[in-house]
Amino acid sequence: MAEEGVVVGCHTVDQWNEHFQKHASSEKLVVVDFTASWCGPCRIIAPILAEFAKKMPHVVFLKVDVDEVESVAQEYSVEAMPTFILFKSGKPVDKVVGAKKDELLSRIVKHSEGAAAVSA
Amino acid sequence: MAVSGFEGFEKRLELQFSSHDPVIGIGLRQLDFESVEQVLQEVQCTVVSALGNQHFDSYVLSESSLFVYPTKIIIKTCGTTQLLKSVRPFIHHATTLNLHIMELRYTRGSFIFPQAQPHPHTSSQEEVVYLEDNIPSSLCYRKASVIPSNLTSHSWHVFSAGAVEYSDNLHPLDLYTVEVCMTDLDQTLARKFFRNPNDGKNGDSAGREMTEITGINRINLNAQICDFAFDPCGYSMNGIDGDRYSTIHVTPEDGFSYASFECVGSIYNDDMADMVKKAVKVFGPGTVSVATTAASHDMCTRIKAAVEQLGMKCRSYSMDEFPAAGTVVFQTFTTRRNRI
Repeated sequence: MAEEGVVVGCHTVDQWNEHFQKHASSEKLVVVDFTASWCGPCRIIAPILAEFAKKMPHVVFLKVDVDEVESVAQEYSVEAMPTFILFKSGKPVDKVVGAKKDELLSRIVKHSEGAAAVSA
Repeated sequence: MAVSGFEGFEKRLELQFSSHDPVIGIGLRQLDFESVEQVLQEVQCTVVSALGNQHFDSYVLSESSLFVYPTKIIIKTCGTTQLLKSVRPFIHHATTLNLHIMELRYTRGSFIFPQAQPHPHTSSQEEVVYLEDNIPSSLCYRKASVIPSNLTSHSWHVFSAGAVEYSDNLHPLDLYTVEVCMTDLDQTLARKFFRNPNDGKNGDSAGREMTEITGINRINLNAQICDFAFDPCGYSMNGIDGDRYSTIHVTPEDGFSYASFECVGSIYNDDMADMVKKAVKVFGPGTVSVATTAASHDMCTRIKAAVEQLGMKCRSYSMDEFPAAGTVVFQTFTTRRNRI
């Protein structure tokens, strides 16, 4: 599948709905990076997230620019960037606010336990 | 006092820029991370965590904090960092974005271990000479001063330089800065900033736990907090609330325990005295100093009253005027049981 191993950008509400709904009925962990082009901390974490995506093909990584898809950012009350929301079966299960590499990794590992072993 | 230990007192630098271009956009927030990292390397610290909102970016550093607004940089670093080495590179990087330095302000308390400080921080005089040598002549409204208190261990060092006088200044006159330095922390409260050995947590999750158990998360309920716990002890946080930042740093070791709380306030928000009171209460310090820059006399009086409600006594109230920064008020407090 083309989505595996990369962070998939959702630039419109339609793209968001398409990617998000695709996994809403599966058990797969979906990690959504709420980001902004003007946010310095977002630029720090972007390459790290890309690495995570490469090493964790069993996890879905989506990226939402809060200016491009404002309604989705509002729906999940995103006030600071980067914010990572982890979803399972379409429901938010965890949240990491800030460019916090170790914390994000440990939450992803925690919620994707039982899936493929991770070495990041 | 311990013979030697970690220097908690931070050095703080604020740089204000402006552009000839009416549309500044995100300004300094465009700076690529490699450039920021290079400057931090000169200072001798690194980024451990970061968070931004639509107004500014905040970074928790291995030694304190950095805030980047479109036309303003605030950086404070503790320990034996060489903060003033960042002046020239920050001004240079801003120039590449068509932003020109308009004002610089450097402040700090009195170091606990002054002998441990490296160049250019070995003395207040050396710092002033270094600053004079590294800022452009356009910053012509200059003044350096050490504001005393009647506690020999506490005085407030200020260097201010601006291209225009404070009263004609470009930045909003409704903003003021409060810098609180606390020493001799209550030992039971300070212990909360030590990690349990092999707690299995990372610095982020251990930091979040400290934020919650100490009540730091209740100082400003509107703030988004970016926090970090160091190993084996120590803590840093940045709070972001709209365009206002707050920041706390803790060195909890007995003998040289220290905590700082800093916040930018607006005359339109009424909560500053209450926030200072809540922050001081987290640490139960033996001695507190509060330096306010460009705040009203009324606000300084309210902060004094708020700190005194915690059973502390105001021991000194001094002020000085700076042509480019306005009035700086420096107040000190000790617990009532302490004699000077």
